[in-house]
Amino acid sequence: MTCPIHHPDESNRRQFLAQVAGVAIGSTMWGWMPTPGQAVEHLRPHFQPRARRMIWLFQSGGPSQIDLFDPKPLLNQRHGEELPASIRMGQRLTAMSGNQSSLPLVGSPFQFATHGESGAQISELLPHTAAIADKLCIVRSLHTRAINHDPAITFVQTGSEIAGRPSIGAWLSYGLGAGNPDLPASIAMVSQNKSGQPLYARLWGAGFLPSEHQGIQFRPGKNPVLYLSDPDGLSRDMRRQMLDALLDLHRFQDQGEDPDILAANTRNELAWRMQTSIPEVADLSDEPEEIFELYGKDSRTPGTYANNCILARRLAERGVRFTQLFHQGWDQHGNLPGALRTQCLETDQASAALVVDLERRGLLDDTLVIWGGEFGRTSYCQGKLTPQGFGRDHHPRCFTIWMAGGGVKDGLTYGSTDDLGYNITANPMDVHDLQATILHILGIDHEQLTYKFQGRRYRLTDVHGKVIEALLA
Amino acid sequence: MLLPISRALVVIQLLLLPSVLCGLPLEDEIDYDRSIRPILADRCYPCHGPDAGARKAKLRLDRREIAIAERSDGAPIVPGDPSSSLMIERLTAIDAEDRMPPPESNRQVSDQEIELLRRWIEQGARFDRHWAFKAPRSPELPAVLDLQWSRQPIDRFILARLERAGLAPAVDANRAILARRASFILTGLAPDLEELDRFLADESSDAWHKWVDSLLASPTFGEQMATHWLDIARYADSYGYQSDVHRQMWQWRDWVIDAFNSNLSHDQFITWQVAGDMLEDATPRQKLATAFQRLHRQTNEGGSVEEEYRIEYVVDRTQTFSTAFLGLTFECARCHDHKFDPLKQREFYALSAFFSNIDESGLYSHFTSAVPTPALTLFDQTATDRIAELSTQVNSAEQHLHEVEESRRDAFDLWQRQQEGSYPAAIFTDVAGHFSFDEIIDAKSINNIDPEHPAKVPASLTLSEGVSGKSIRLTGDDALVFDGLGAYSRNDPFSISLWIRPEHHMERAVILHRSRAWTDAGSQGYQLLIEDGHLSAALIHFWPGDAIAVSTTDRIKPGQWTHVVFSYDGSSRASGIQLWIDGDKADVEIVRDHLRSPITGGGPYFAIGERFRDNGFKNGQVDEMYILNRSISALEVRKLFHDVADAGTELAVNDEGLYRWWLLAIDEECRSARFELTTTRKALAAFTDSKPRIMVMKEMATRRATHLLQRGRYDAAGETVEPAVPGILPPMPDGASRDRLGLARWLVSPEHPLTARVAVNRLWQIAFGQGIVPTSEDFGTQGVRPSHPQLLDHLALDFIDSGWDVKRMLRRILTSHTWMQSSGCSHSLLEQDPENRLLARGPSVRMSAEMVRDHALQASGLLVGKIGGPSVLPYQPPGLWQEKSGRTYTASKGEGLYRRSLYTFWKRTSPPPTMMIFDASKRDVCVTRRHRTSTPMQSLVLMNDPQFVEAARMLARRVMTSTEDDPAAAISNAFRLLLGRTIENAELETLLTLRDQLQQQFAGDPDAAGHWLSVGDSPIDETLDAIEWAAMTAVCSTLFNHDETTRLR
Repeated sequence: MTCPIHHPDESNRRQFLAQVAGVAIGSTMWGWMPTPGQAVEHLRPHFQPRARRMIWLFQSGGPSQIDLFDPKPLLNQRHGEELPASIRMGQRLTAMSGNQSSLPLVGSPFQFATHGESGAQISELLPHTAAIADKLCIVRSLHTRAINHDPAITFVQTGSEIAGRPSIGAWLSYGLGAGNPDLPASIAMVSQNKSGQPLYARLWGAGFLPSEHQGIQFRPGKNPVLYLSDPDGLSRDMRRQMLDALLDLHRFQDQGEDPDILAANTRNELAWRMQTSIPEVADLSDEPEEIFELYGKDSRTPGTYANNCILARRLAERGVRFTQLFHQGWDQHGNLPGALRTQCLETDQASAALVVDLERRGLLDDTLVIWGGEFGRTSYCQGKLTPQGFGRDHHPRCFTIWMAGGGVKDGLTYGSTDDLGYNITANPMDVHDLQATILHILGIDHEQLTYKFQGRRYRLTDVHGKVIEALLA
Repeated sequence: MLLPISRALVVIQLLLLPSVLCGLPLEDEIDYDRSIRPILADRCYPCHGPDAGARKAKLRLDRREIAIAERSDGAPIVPGDPSSSLMIERLTAIDAEDRMPPPESNRQVSDQEIELLRRWIEQGARFDRHWAFKAPRSPELPAVLDLQWSRQPIDRFILARLERAGLAPAVDANRAILARRASFILTGLAPDLEELDRFLADESSDAWHKWVDSLLASPTFGEQMATHWLDIARYADSYGYQSDVHRQMWQWRDWVIDAFNSNLSHDQFITWQVAGDMLEDATPRQKLATAFQRLHRQTNEGGSVEEEYRIEYVVDRTQTFSTAFLGLTFECARCHDHKFDPLKQREFYALSAFFSNIDESGLYSHFTSAVPTPALTLFDQTATDRIAELSTQVNSAEQHLHEVEESRRDAFDLWQRQQEGSYPAAIFTDVAGHFSFDEIIDAKSINNIDPEHPAKVPASLTLSEGVSGKSIRLTGDDALVFDGLGAYSRNDPFSISLWIRPEHHMERAVILHRSRAWTDAGSQGYQLLIEDGHLSAALIHFWPGDAIAVSTTDRIKPGQWTHVVFSYDGSSRASGIQLWIDGDKADVEIVRDHLRSPITGGGPYFAIGERFRDNGFKNGQVDEMYILNRSISALEVRKLFHDVADAGTELAVNDEGLYRWWLLAIDEECRSARFELTTTRKALAAFTDSKPRIMVMKEMATRRATHLLQRGRYDAAGETVEPAVPGILPPMPDGASRDRLGLARWLVSPEHPLTARVAVNRLWQIAFGQGIVPTSEDFGTQGVRPSHPQLLDHLALDFIDSGWDVKRMLRRILTSHTWMQSSGCSHSLLEQDPENRLLARGPSVRMSAEMVRDHALQASGLLVGKIGGPSVLPYQPPGLWQEKSGRTYTASKGEGLYRRSLYTFWKRTSPPPTMMIFDASKRDVCVTRRHRTSTPMQSLVLMNDPQFVEAARMLARRVMTSTEDDPAAAISNAFRLLLGRTIENAELETLLTLRDQLQQQFAGDPDAAGHWLSVGDSPIDETLDAIEWAAMTAVCSTLFNHDETTRLR
């Protein structure tokens, strides 16, 4: 068989394997891990992967590329002038600023400097990121189709603007399986006590893939995973006795033939093991002082972005395939200067620390780290341009992300935009290209990772996407 | 029931029809539809199929005449001669350049498949239509060898197939197990143990039928059937998308429950939901049924393009219709011709035209709670009676006013004589504001009538030359704001007069309004706009479906001053809006005439020149504004115009004009009649406004044009398409209306090849856990073929013949010998038929998410059996809503914690986690079947979800209380409540030992027992020994994770 991924009736085949082979051999029941019976072609990379896992630091709301990574001196010079029609070229705007009687250009109030040997240009708001400039692959020419948050974030996460398709984490779970039998393949974490654009469980959901592939959300507190901890008053020893009794009861019914009973035993026993393995990974008390210093003072507080960054590293150490952090609050329609500074203070140090920490542990080589949001922000002002402040609207035509580790070229700034930061002038990369490139780095041919649903083979990249070879080391 | 077929007859059939029995056609003829089309469709159609856009080499292999046509290098298929057929040559080419499909395409054809193609060509390469597009034919009952086993036709079809495969049916299932299986499948709940015992003791021959009938008659039947339909209908309690605001659609959910309980025939069930609003003399319930089509997600995200999302909704309705009723997936055809099924992109949009013709907006309101239109106000009978009463009062008051207006001429003459014929100086009464806009002092412009309420003028607005003195020049981005003025309801008459001067032609400009925003508030309020140069005025609850609006036929001239008056009479009718231009009443076109709901509640103040995210009156000027708290007379309008335009000349006044003015302004009798009318209107409005509203379908009088959209994009409209059904299906009959009603009738016509098959297949899926066509959402060429095509046809035709009787069909299936088989299975059978498609055994499926939770609640005695009503909020871990959207989840108190799971509040962006863990569908789009996974998360829920921990505690209490100091009896009782069968000795011993161990440990740590017993809101029973109770609770909790507790065997 030359197509290693596709099977004519994937869901039925998997159901069969789950019922018979996988369980009968007594493997675990994490649907997302390669059980022995499922040691089949599609759980094997298509080619040598450059990275074995990835961490996506998702900055939800649309960080301003103009104020962080893509400086525009001319924009500063022409501050206050009307956006030229020759630049806008009739492209649609949101209905938020689209009816404004004036669209004044607005320069960045922040200073940029070149950093590292690569000379990457990074804003003063991101000093820690600037310090690791030579480890970064900065892409200034990402673009998207959607102009509003919901379709845009859904597009980045699932390859389609319309909800219903599997998230990238679910695709990786389906395609590669779990890297650790006692932990999920795809894990999501949301910074707590942030406000801003809402998030949705479907952003890490399984879409039409079997629900075993859905991302599991890790949350701060007693229950890192929902329903994980035993109720107060019930000791671990008691729980063990209860599970032992259950094994006996199941044994009375069946001597090892019935796949359903085997499945029940395996999922119960894995639940028992998770009750240990997950608190262990979520407990940062064994992290040395210097680690908290590296990630910044927030990192001691559970639920913060910085704390989640440490957790992400611990998950990576344990082989978790895909970890995604969500940090809300980048949607600066107004009061950009103040709000953007706050966002950067919350994220800059820990993002950089994660890269450094992974590198120190020798994990950066095979861990892909991505920082970025769902779109960029306009070079014109939303609302009134006043001396006190300004805002920027959503901008899909260009935005910046950075990547690090896992086989991407470091010290590279890729792509460019025009002098007013509106359109891409070189090396455009669309969201499907990004997804294709990510899958490629993880050893997957994005055209071959398919799942048949409602009569059609779906892919993360729909019918689009190309691997951007220039980004690969 | 045995069929009257004698053994001799079977022998004869055996001799005559060997092919039927051995299952292979004579001479191994290859079945195109079964064996060939799937290969071609999957591997070849992507480039050589129905999609013209993707077609390579102008070759299509879905059409015989093209596939066999001679080309420059030969014919792809030469019937009868595979070796000359280019297709075989290319499939077997060794050179990668020549090989088909191209190696990089990820679509390979295996050697066996090539052999099949070769033999098919050899046999003549016969093409045939896909089975599902041909009308079902009444099949003959197949012959079988075992004449005893079949009880009804279903069994004959199943047995015949089993015999062909060399398999024998399983033994009958244990009656208790069977009764439990039927109970869950039909009602979603376990049987009541007393009723179960009565059934087990009933040895009469129709005991089983009676059991099934009693389940079908239970009101819980409707609830259970509804759980399936809610998935198909993508039912939810929130809009989905982004901020995911909550909405009320539960009245539709209750309609579904009732429809199943009253056994509404399935053709009506479909018709009402597709076109209930269009039935003759449609009842409120028939209209309510159409909410089915409004259950899709909607957005209110700021800045979204309205049309982009309206298109999404129409597409969703089209796809849901296709998947739910036709069993076809049309998603591909949205962007291009379908690659596998003969569905053209054009046909997709032609079908969508049926669903686009409602007066809806692509965005629901962010700032108000208006129900998006079209909406239906829900009245019970009492309310209907009360409305009739109030409406009569309004009509009488209208009639009375009319009579008064025509009967006051004598009084008017008298009044006029008293005035001694002189023209009254103060002709304006009821003036709330008059603004000359001649100066700005302290950022205010004075109100000559009411100095307490001046206009607030932002610094950016300036004075400039006016039509009289100065005027205010607008920027389009800043509003002149008038606090304390203009707060009119839809029952209040009012008039606004002002002079305006647009600088240039305006596509859209807000002159004045009292509202919060444009699409972000559904425009709720009232407004005066320039649209494409025309003056337009509207009163709006939710644009466009709940509003009155008119637009002048003439355009306002740019670059000059125009006097405009917007007057409204409080009638909620478009004819009650009058526009006047330069002293004359303007000719208007009625744009909308359907105002049923409040217009207040949106805007905080009256404003001129700007609105949130709308187009302001950029560079426009305004001058001399009057606001009147009543309708205005023609005389007054003329005077307002005249005083400025022809100042110094005398205004001509005639008696009739003066009379009409007098009635409005002076005559107390007429004014009192008018006041009375307003009062009755307000009483009616107050009553109807308090009633719930729900989104439904309501056909627009004038059909909205539908276009083919290139690549499916809303902004790439192509040719116009008329409503039509896809060409692969039978055409709509001549004379059928090309609207949803015509579509519904076409759908349920007995000749339709899909509707009944799709419906009975889903009923089969409910009973067996899997359909005869396992891909119940896809009967197209990419779907899985039916395991028993003749049985499917038999059932479909029987269903139609029975009058689409759902309960009857389920009774047939559940009383079949096939269904009553034991689900036990040998390893060899498992290997031979792992998916149980041949049904050599009964069904064995994990319970649905709803069943798992409801079962625990029921066993514990906590379940609240109330049917219907608003959705409830059972226990949920804290923070799940908060961290996503900042909204707090506050669990219900009391019975809301213990209702059946189909009443659990469904928030789309954060669905109930336990339900998701047990594979519930997400309710984003239409789904006809769920996955069934087995994950440790499920074990954790059963172990630790407070709902289940509390249920274990209350189950323990229940069995302890009923057995009085007899742990063995208590455990046996709990066991039977959960697993549905009697406990075995070994099982009892294990559980007693567990209980004893835990009891000892809890005895050593009574605090632990206290904590363990404190989960959930149920009170502590002080009469029970806490230590014993804690131990028994642990036993019950353990049983929740027993495979048999959550499995139907």
